[in-house]
Amino acid sequence: MTPTTIGGSTSTGRLETAGVSVHFGPRSALEEINVRFGVAETISLLGPNGAGKSTLLKLLAGMLPPSHGEVLLDGVPVRKPTQGVVYVPQRTGVDWTFPVNVLDVALMGRAGSRSRLTRFAEHDRMEGLAALDRVGMRRFAGVQIGQLSGGQQQRVFLARALLQAGQIYLLDEPFAGVDVPTQELLIDLFEGLRREGRTIIYATHDLAQAAKCSNRVLLINRRVIANGPPSHVMTATNLRATFGGQAVLIPAGAEIAVVAEDSAG
Amino acid sequence: MSAMLDWVLDPLSRTFMQHAFAAIVLVGVICGVIGTFVTLRGLAFMGDALAHAIFPGVVIAFVLGGNVLIGALIAAVLVSLAIGAVGQSERLSNDTAIGVLFAGGFALGIALISAERSYAKDLSSFLFGTILGVSRSDLLLTGGVGLTVLLTIGLFRRELSMIAFDRTFAQANGLNLWVYDQLFLLLLSLAIVISLQTVGNILVLAMLVTPAATARLLTDRLPWMAFLAALIGAGSGVVGLYVSYYRGISSGASVVLVATAIFALAYLFAPRTGVVTVRLGRRLHFPHPEHDAFPVDADESPSLPQPHIPYRDPAAGQTGRQPTAS
Repeated sequence: MTPTTIGGSTSTGRLETAGVSVHFGPRSALEEINVRFGVAETISLLGPNGAGKSTLLKLLAGMLPPSHGEVLLDGVPVRKPTQGVVYVPQRTGVDWTFPVNVLDVALMGRAGSRSRLTRFAEHDRMEGLAALDRVGMRRFAGVQIGQLSGGQQQRVFLARALLQAGQIYLLDEPFAGVDVPTQELLIDLFEGLRREGRTIIYATHDLAQAAKCSNRVLLINRRVIANGPPSHVMTATNLRATFGGQAVLIPAGAEIAVVAEDSAG
Repeated sequence: MSAMLDWVLDPLSRTFMQHAFAAIVLVGVICGVIGTFVTLRGLAFMGDALAHAIFPGVVIAFVLGGNVLIGALIAAVLVSLAIGAVGQSERLSNDTAIGVLFAGGFALGIALISAERSYAKDLSSFLFGTILGVSRSDLLLTGGVGLTVLLTIGLFRRELSMIAFDRTFAQANGLNLWVYDQLFLLLLSLAIVISLQTVGNILVLAMLVTPAATARLLTDRLPWMAFLAALIGAGSGVVGLYVSYYRGISSGASVVLVATAIFALAYLFAPRTGVVTVRLGRRLHFPHPEHDAFPVDADESPSLPQPHIPYRDPAAGQTGRQPTAS
């Protein structure tokens, strides 16, 4: 929330974890995570429920202290949320009956950097509308947030994240429960942000989605199973190691085939 | 006409009633504004608990002859910290922590005051307030504390509403949730403490919850909700005092009943959400509600009033009409 340099290229935004583990009481959520995240990459964190995807994202966002190891941003340990690292939470943690409209929510992305004494300036509102335009939600600016469909709510979250003008975007399950047009919009948006030199890291348990729209996949199930381009790491062996016997996907050329596997096997 | 005017003016000619009106308006406004956040965060039980748990502080200050407000404040801070601490326990929910401390604190207050000679009279004045005994210095204190509360909420409005709407996002933005939660509880305690003399320990909850709930039925915007809640709180106070004056019923009860009546009216007849209004409107104007789930050509300027959303079809709510992605 403390406004540091805005607009200046203070960092190149290179995230890295060094021997990070997280324990909740006796339960270990993540073990010995050593990953370097590149710049201008779209990286999906792929794993089953309870694999620690959300935990890893919160860790990278500086919202959760690691039990061991360090998260480093350009070599500097991350101990609290920093400007430039934008976290987009899951939709489910939000009170959708809240009396705010779409533009109000988007402008929350600007709340920390504006005067306490005044209302939002006209140019903030214009930028808010522009961000809504980018996610196709401009004409819903005055609509109460609870009136929207799941996909539309996700778009508003993205507009809010865009207004935060980050270098690194961390998204928790952005594709969960959204409609097909929103999925396509998300893919376009990620690609646009990546071309602008930003890094997108998102959690998903959708294999096809991860294979289609990320240039790096991190297979995790409490530890890192594999890390690399989708075509390299999404092998039957790796996926079985990640998902157990739930369902296995085998990349066959450019096509993706999903093979349900007997859980006993 | 002049009889009507007399009816209105008669109570205002008495000093104790002037003080009472001023006090109830202050309390209505302050409780309305902070009550907006209390209802949005689902903290009604917490508000009730604070009101009861600060009771021992009030009694100790009273017995020692100190300032009752200061005693109540010390108790409120201690109780909200204790609830925070007990609620951290992995085996107990926050609700449970509130329940334990709420009843314990209240019992301690009763135990302390029951040792006094004028027990029954003192107890009832704490529980139900003594609005007709509000002095000029009480009013100044109420006004000063109330203004502080309102200004603080105004300064931190973005943080408070962000936390109420989406805690995870607020945390990711670097807000220290614990600090803001404690700040909010402190403001809430202050609001409760200055309401004690006016409406009493038991009915202060109604001043926090009912006007805000009514306002929520009337608007979809947070600033408007706070404004309307303040207006409804103050309005119920004034009307309630008149009713109390002419009917000879307890002022606290009368104020709360008026607020409750306004809530009932809004619940039934609010323009877009009222139970009756929606049914009538559906029958008269919207034979095909699915066509009205979203405004077709909503004005894009945010400074204009928000588009009219007359009816939300539960079935259409999930899918909704998608805008053409551009």
